[in-house]
Amino acid sequence: MSERVSLQPAYVLHQRAYRETSRLIEVLSCDYGRIGIVARGARRPGSRVRPLLQPFVPLLLSWSAAGELATLTGAEPAGTALHLQGDALVCGFYLNEVLLRLLTRHDPAPELFSAYHEALGGLQTHGCDPTILRRFEKRLLDVLGYGLQLREDARGAALSADRRYHYEPQRGAVPADADRDAPAGGVAILGRCLQALAADAPLDGICRRQVQRLLAAILAPHLGPRPLKSRDLLLRIRRRRTTK
Amino acid sequence: MSYTPLLQQLMEALRCLPGVGPKSAQRMTFHLLERDPEGALRLAKALTEAVERVGRCGSCRTLSEDPLCPLCASQRRDRRLLCVVETPADVLAVEQSGAYAGLYFVLGGHLSPLDGIGPEEIGVDALLARAREGVEEVILATNPTVEGEATAHYIGELLRELGVGVSRIAHGVPLGGELEYVDGSTLTRALAGRKPI
Ligand SMILES: [Zn+2]
Repeated sequence: MSERVSLQPAYVLHQRAYRETSRLIEVLSCDYGRIGIVARGARRPGSRVRPLLQPFVPLLLSWSAAGELATLTGAEPAGTALHLQGDALVCGFYLNEVLLRLLTRHDPAPELFSAYHEALGGLQTHGCDPTILRRFEKRLLDVLGYGLQLREDARGAALSADRRYHYEPQRGAVPADADRDAPAGGVAILGRCLQALAADAPLDGICRRQVQRLLAAILAPHLGPRPLKSRDLLLRIRRRRTTK
Repeated sequence: MSYTPLLQQLMEALRCLPGVGPKSAQRMTFHLLERDPEGALRLAKALTEAVERVGRCGSCRTLSEDPLCPLCASQRRDRRLLCVVETPADVLAVEQSGAYAGLYFVLGGHLSPLDGIGPEEIGVDALLARAREGVEEVILATNPTVEGEATAHYIGELLRELGVGVSRIAHGVPLGGELEYVDGSTLTRALAGRKPI
């Protein structure tokens, strides 16, 4: 049985050559999640869809699907084209790389699509602001069912801004001085940084580092042992600038 | 239906060409053996020679059987200008325009983190070394794809630190094209890169 989908909001996450003249594009769609779509003839010179099927371009895609891979039947731009530049492009690659590592095909997640859409909008407006990446990672974890517990600490008490915590995936935020019998492992983090993350508020220098470490630690087991190439590239760019 | 082992082998070998599927490979095989055995021998000889002897130009990294390609060896080129492109085919494209008289550097691809291609894989260090040899301006002519843009951005920053002038080729509406049919990203770029007249 084949399914026809018409004008579905979607973004291209990645694409590669497929068979003789086609491309296989991995897209994040609004209502169908991640889909692998074959764009027939998209490698021929003069192909009309080729310039359109780029990452970070909001698209309306139509396809028909009968098995694991769908076949592209139409592509048009959706609204205003984004124009990511410079570091924002590398940050965009990072979002795409994380999504491809964590999402399986055919697992609808409309909330994730809007989180991604907003993150790209943020990258376009503010450049590669780490706060945008952290907010996206937090929402991604929520969608995947590994969401952080940020409303209260591990004992059900309200988080206090000045307190130090150790965040553990299983228990949540354990106050650093709480439990001498079972010392918390996890990632050390200040209460106000957890609060800022919960409220999607801007992160100051300390919180930026702590929240980055926290989310990286929570994501790590799901990303697997292979390093993320786009994160390496981003770190390398940052390091070079600060050592100058 | 099955073919003899040698026919089979030739058909499979032909399929390494882009755009050649089983049907085309079969057609080519019969054409070569039945209609043009001489041409087939020429092709076989040319292929062997080229693959054995063609390597990379030591200066620009385009394909060449000499240590320096004819462009890099020429005395007529402007050595202060360096044009960075993704592939040897791009060198040819720029050359055919006749609008450029400087030298080239071929990256052999673009930054593509999701395919595991980082700065090492595209020879960024070799480019920086090359740029130190009396180059005054580097023209970044990577493709106007997101990967090509990211590559231009990354390389451009490194080159500016060296004190070399850096420019990016303009992108916009194709000549003879109609605005109505130009995609939004291209138009956005064309508007951003507008010039007073
Ligand atoms: Zn050369």
